[in-house]
Amino acid sequence: MFKLASKAIEVANKHRVDFGDIRIVEERRQGLAVKNGEIAGLTDQVSMGYGVRVLYKGAWGFASGSVMTERGVAETARKAVAIAKASRLLMAGRVRLAPEPAYQDIWQTPFLKDPFAVPTQQKLDLLLKADALLRRNKKVRVAASEMRFIREHQWHMTTEGSRIEQVLLSSGASITATAVENGESQMRGYPCSHGGQTLGGGWEIIEAMDLAAHAERVGDEAAALLKAPQCQAGVRDLIISGNQMALQIHESVGHASELDRVLGYEESYAGSSFATTEKLGKFRYGSPIVNIVADATLPGGLATAGYDDDAVKAQRWHIVKDGILSGYMTNREFCGRIGKERSWGSCRADGFANIPITRICNLSLMPGHSSTEELIAGVRDGVMMENNVSWSIDQRRLNFQFGCEIGWEIKNGRKGRMLKNPTYQGITPEFWGSCDAIAGPQEWRLWGVANCGKGQPGQTAMMCHGSSPARFRKVKIGVHG
Amino acid sequence: MKNMETVCEKIFKLAKGVQCEVTAETRDWALTRFAENVISQNVASSSLHLSVRLLDSGRTAKVNLNQADDASLKRAVAAGLETLRTQKKDPHLLPLARPRALPAGKNLYDRETACLPPGWRAGKAAELARACKKTGQTACGTVENGAATLVVANSLGLYAEHSESFAGHSVTVRDKDGSGWAERQDFDAAKIPFALINETARAKAAASRKPREIKPGKYTVVLEPHAAAGLLSYLAVYGFGGQLYNEGRSFVCGKLGKKALSPLLTLEDNSIDGAAPGMPFDYEGQPRTRVTLVENGVLKSVVHDRKTAKKAKTASTGHALPQPSYMGPIPLNLAVKPGHGSLEALIKGTERGVLVTQFHYTNILRPQTVEMTGMTRNGTFMIEDGRIAYPIKNMRFTQGMVEAFGRVEAVSGLPVLISEWGGISCPAMRLGGFNFSSSTKF
Repeated sequence: MFKLASKAIEVANKHRVDFGDIRIVEERRQGLAVKNGEIAGLTDQVSMGYGVRVLYKGAWGFASGSVMTERGVAETARKAVAIAKASRLLMAGRVRLAPEPAYQDIWQTPFLKDPFAVPTQQKLDLLLKADALLRRNKKVRVAASEMRFIREHQWHMTTEGSRIEQVLLSSGASITATAVENGESQMRGYPCSHGGQTLGGGWEIIEAMDLAAHAERVGDEAAALLKAPQCQAGVRDLIISGNQMALQIHESVGHASELDRVLGYEESYAGSSFATTEKLGKFRYGSPIVNIVADATLPGGLATAGYDDDAVKAQRWHIVKDGILSGYMTNREFCGRIGKERSWGSCRADGFANIPITRICNLSLMPGHSSTEELIAGVRDGVMMENNVSWSIDQRRLNFQFGCEIGWEIKNGRKGRMLKNPTYQGITPEFWGSCDAIAGPQEWRLWGVANCGKGQPGQTAMMCHGSSPARFRKVKIGVHG
Repeated sequence: MKNMETVCEKIFKLAKGVQCEVTAETRDWALTRFAENVISQNVASSSLHLSVRLLDSGRTAKVNLNQADDASLKRAVAAGLETLRTQKKDPHLLPLARPRALPAGKNLYDRETACLPPGWRAGKAAELARACKKTGQTACGTVENGAATLVVANSLGLYAEHSESFAGHSVTVRDKDGSGWAERQDFDAAKIPFALINETARAKAAASRKPREIKPGKYTVVLEPHAAAGLLSYLAVYGFGGQLYNEGRSFVCGKLGKKALSPLLTLEDNSIDGAAPGMPFDYEGQPRTRVTLVENGVLKSVVHDRKTAKKAKTASTGHALPQPSYMGPIPLNLAVKPGHGSLEALIKGTERGVLVTQFHYTNILRPQTVEMTGMTRNGTFMIEDGRIAYPIKNMRFTQGMVEAFGRVEAVSGLPVLISEWGGISCPAMRLGGFNFSSSTKF
């Protein structure tokens, strides 16, 4: 593939570009879905193509194509140069990339069992078994079980001399029960809803989930939620567990710390950020026990790779350290704006057809020293919430509102009855500032976000967020008004 | 797409008598993105997407690929046949659709729009950015154009093809602590009012400086077309899809023929000759039909594909998504029946209320009441005594849409074509008692 890739580099060099690269990507995706005993999806997808990026006299151009010939690559590279020339019409100054050594390397996601080698019927049988168990409770009107596997083989070549080959593999699954009664529906999922849990690795991830073992409980809990009392509005303590903490980190820290957004380059679509650059190293983002770390080397992470799509080697760094804003998600174009000589390496593209943009890396809340039992014991009046169902945050990542699948009332240090439709709302730094306890490493786990949207044209990226349950004081629970 | 007919024939032959459906899409798309008054991204993409669905005696498999050479097709179909061979039978699986006569539909392809060069897009961005620089404003946004062709064909002789061009201009302007926004899309770039979009966003940005904070609570709202469309499209998707209806998960269940929304609201899905036209067939190659969803507040119909129609013992309305579909059929070409007068007239008729330009990050909380949350964005104003009194800081709404669209007080004329889910032609509206549940800092 590097022979084909070199055609783009040849064209780029001929036009004397400041920088040029080509990423050839071969991707295989398999998706399986069972709904109410029927096969609702069974798709195998293979795609191959390339994206060529050039920086010509300080202006960007990008074009992608899928004609896998030297002629096709050369034409696409010339198109990228023509687009870059048009970009020169409106520029403030020359774009300069932070330096990075040239690498010749191969990297692959570690895995035990190739999911594409597992027979399709074995996968369907597993989903059908879980589906039948989900529907044992007669109030379950919709049972849905899904699996998905993605293998992305990349060949990345730059005019700086990097030749990087990477194979990224991810596997995911979920089961979801929706119970319906008297015009009301309630949903419960395992490991979580919204497409479920996805991690970097192979079939062993699916085996470890043991979907069938959880299916009947999930169906019963969905049905029980129909009868559960409504989570009442009020200012109360909150314990977040399950994948909800992943969404909380993702929306209120992850996106807020994307440097392109901070600098105004996402304003037209996803918005900007309150975490502006003059706050770096000074701003109190959360309480002193809050440490949030970006890590492209994290085992099992969906954003784990040897290199990002700027050809920058994987790194680990703090976004929030002891409660203080300490870093950003960066690419090579913008890191200089905060005085960084080297990018932290969080620039990625969705497939071959999209230009690399600044992305959330794996981003995790570091564990504390408590346990869930101790978190509960310290609450006089509160709610514990688990697994996200809805999310929304303003365009500067301040005002957020989340809805969860299930809540549990906490009174006088004891976990009590189940609550339905739990929601909470807050302002990002005030909320993280109210965090007073985090469970320890024994309860810390990774949650995958496989559908993070950003950019124009829209791109999807995957990343993980690790966390253990955490407690927040005096939070606005429920919807006011 | 003559080449695509040949590709389909090759695939049918490779399927060796097994029922076979091919969906093929070619797309050429270019987008120039600008921010901070400079071009920040400038991209172009050419793509082919081929989807091959095989069905044999209650077994099914689907293979997607983006290469149409003989070797790739052979490999893909062989993989699909192997998946079929190892699979158990599904008694509920429908056979492929038979060919049916298709309506002509509107011509939505303009060659010039499809081929506009990067210099044209850069020029449009530059016009706005230069004007903004002069007044200390900052422009962000996109200029895009391109074209796509979709083919749905099957081995029972069905062949349907549709081409569309598209262009769009989306503008956000920042003016100190104010911001404004405007956007238009069309099949024909010549019909996009670039100067009006730029001027609207710039004026809104200037007018929204120094916003005041108001208390959350229930307010009359005047929703500009994009804000109204963002909410109505959720109401349509979560209410009027045949699958959610069959599963008892839609607010429409048990209410067909009954008044559940405001008598001022009439909503139809019409891809053929409606105000938000689209392809004249669905992803099963069946003719799209005009469906009245709401008439003067009375819930009239839901949309179906062949599978949900069978379950509901009715006929497909031609609203299938690519099969098999997890979500089921949804309305994608919506048109709200316009009322009379302008947005300004709606404002003039409002004693006290909130004018919303745009909503941001909307999401659904409870599907059965279509309870949603989201933020206002890029120009939110207080209306007092029939005029815009002052800009206000953004607020979060949490509100059931069935309830909200039961309280429509007025609908303007002059609908705007908006890309939301599919397309929606929507005028401005005034709604009573809209719940803002919290506020933010700007």
